[in-house]
Amino acid sequence: MELVQIQRSLVDYTKSLFMEGFLDAQFLQLQQLQDDSNPDFVFEVVSLFFEDSEKLLNELIIALDQPNVDFKKIDSHVHQLKGSSSSIGAQRVKNACIAFRNYCDVQNIEGCLTCLQQVKQECYLVKNKFETLFRLEQQIMASGGSVPTIELGF
Amino acid sequence: MELMKSSDNIIQDRTQQQHKQEPEMQAQEGQQEQGHHFHVLAVDDSVIDRKLLEKLLKVSSYQVTCVDSGDKALEYLGLLNNLDSDSTASSSSSSSSSSNSSSCSQSSQREGLKVNLIMTDFCMPGMSGYDLLKRLKGSSWKDVPVVVMSSENVPSRISIRCLEGGAEEFMLKPLQLSDLEKIEAYLLKSLHLSCTNIDKDDDDNNADHNSDNNNDKVVNNDSNIDKGNNSTSMNNNFSKRKALSSEDTESRRPKIKGLAVAI
Repeated sequence: MELVQIQRSLVDYTKSLFMEGFLDAQFLQLQQLQDDSNPDFVFEVVSLFFEDSEKLLNELIIALDQPNVDFKKIDSHVHQLKGSSSSIGAQRVKNACIAFRNYCDVQNIEGCLTCLQQVKQECYLVKNKFETLFRLEQQIMASGGSVPTIELGF
Repeated sequence: MELMKSSDNIIQDRTQQQHKQEPEMQAQEGQQEQGHHFHVLAVDDSVIDRKLLEKLLKVSSYQVTCVDSGDKALEYLGLLNNLDSDSTASSSSSSSSSSNSSSCSQSSQREGLKVNLIMTDFCMPGMSGYDLLKRLKGSSWKDVPVVVMSSENVPSRISIRCLEGGAEEFMLKPLQLSDLEKIEAYLLKSLHLSCTNIDKDDDDNNADHNSDNNNDKVVNNDSNIDKGNNSTSMNNNFSKRKALSSEDTESRRPKIKGLAVAI
């Protein structure tokens, strides 16, 4: 595939992620922070997020499986996940966390379990999206091109 | 956590190294024209937020030290062991001049450790950002401005409590480049305060800065006014949508024209 075509694909793909609500403006902020001195910054932060979220999700599974569910602990984990997803612009994960916390507040286990599934699903989905994104970027870089930026109008 | 701990130390070492080398300033925007490397201590239990904050600050040409808890922050500032003596000192002395002189001696105990701003997350396990704030304001580091951050729209009674506790501002996470401009104002304020309390050596270093007229007006009286303004601006922070900051790049990547998306 020609460089220009790949670049076009990347732009279209990224746009679609915004349209579908996977990403929000915070992701653009991350991209703006990346520079030549740290060209893998976005990749590093996103990777950190997935490491972190995996741990948190595992803890949540365990915590919800207890005979006496500790909602405070669960809320704390979800709060953390919400914060980190918000920091990278993973909007759908963040929103799923917000819903999760509402069920925590009223100590609704069934609701929590459903939300946990949703959060897991959203993490999985956005992870795939990011992987595709990074792959496209790598293809562009490998072809000697530069990665185009997206500008959003509000 | 071990990995993070060691990486925090690495970050610390790197910033201290830069400080010692007294480097030529990296060419950056006007805020650094005075020739100072402001040092920010960032406190956040989230590894992602630490990384983000560190990057935000470094991109803005500040030196950064990141720690993952309030305890680590106090330890870094040399306050953990001295905590009792600091609090008795400040409670027994009523004049501000003596606490300023103790801040000089505190710095020298830490071999000239200089921190111009402390940014702390509000919601942390163990010591909260508010607890840290109170400890700092009761210590010899009380003149260092503190900004509290939170990932949630906390009720105003909480943010006001932080402001009353001596925080300069309560900021909503995730922080953006546009938020850093406010930080700059607090940093300049802290620099001025340290200028007025000091001996000659630092005066020589700050010579360029002293000539800046704006900062002459930043005195203790104004800080009360600033706090009043802060609560209004804090309300604005909560209600505003995080818009894109278009003004700060200096694009690092070429842009493809004609592909703006309206959402």
